Amino acid sequence: MKQETLWIIVGMAVVTFLPRFLPMALLTKWTIPRKIKLGLEYIPVAILSAIVFPILFFDGEGALGIQPQFLFSAIPVFIFAWKVKSLWGSVILGMLIFWGLGFIL
Amino acid sequence: MRNAGFKDGAKAALPIVLGYLPVGMAFGILARKAGLNPFEVAFMSLLVYAGASQFLAIEMILKGMIWFPIVLTTFFINLRHLLMSSTISLYFNRNPLRKIGLLSAQLTDESFAVAMSNTSKIENRPEYLFGLQMTSHLAWISGSVGGAFFGPLIKSSEYGLPFSLPALFICLLVFQIRSTHHFWMMIVAGVFSLFFKWAFPGNWYILLAALLSSGMGVMVELVVRKKEG
Repeated sequence: MKQETLWIIVGMAVVTFLPRFLPMALLTKWTIPRKIKLGLEYIPVAILSAIVFPILFFDGEGALGIQPQFLFSAIPVFIFAWKVKSLWGSVILGMLIFWGLGFIL
Repeated sequence: MRNAGFKDGAKAALPIVLGYLPVGMAFGILARKAGLNPFEVAFMSLLVYAGASQFLAIEMILKGMIWFPIVLTTFFINLRHLLMSSTISLYFNRNPLRKIGLLSAQLTDESFAVAMSNTSKIENRPEYLFGLQMTSHLAWISGSVGGAFFGPLIKSSEYGLPFSLPALFICLLVFQIRSTHHFWMMIVAGVFSLFFKWAFPGNWYILLAALLSSGMGVMVELVVRKKEG
């Protein structure tokens, strides 16, 4: 195993384990401060959004601009995920649309 | 009785298995494209076992990033388990630490959702939760390893594969939108990320945008609540 990959995996494992483990281990009376709790509510949305937007609005070379094949695939996936709530269905639908658009655009 | 509990839990995991196997395969396929070997794929799915952050790590490895930003991003994205772990701890308050350790290590959004759908089944029945979580984890590892072996047979630019990760992230994003606040958070974080990516070199835009926008979200919410008093 490559040294860098090992570091990545072990590091990820540690930082993932601690938030899973500590509240259950410390149990009893520890309550999360309200501000942190509010922030935790938002962080997943914020991180995922910060990943998705640049995919739709930057090209491979890092220049800003609408990416039609990505954007027009993203919109139906967004609506489908919203209505149907299916992770796997959304991924398949997105891939099919993206593939189809490849022939048109 | 203990075995019955484990079996019950394993059965309850079935919908999770159906979800984890194919998503795990997608992970394995993409991880191979990013240069991980099947052993590393299995190792990551065994030790980390957190879907969104594993996909994210692959995306960041593809972008040539080093361990530190990857681990930091993983930390922030998985901090949400604090809430789930605190909630689930209410049902296991008389169990030894080694049991708690194993139970908590396998906590995921999906197993948490299933466990919470009927809390009478999990109350001080660690074996039920073991059954549920072990089965789910096994499905995730099997899917990943399967994908890792079949990955090289598939051409990465075909069949819409370049959109598999974006589609997954869009769907996970949609699942996180539970209120208008979350919707606006998505817009604000998205616009920030575009700005930071445009303004700064490297890949810090994800963390910068996420921390800044969620920090702003907390401040706005506190101000609003104060006014409503």
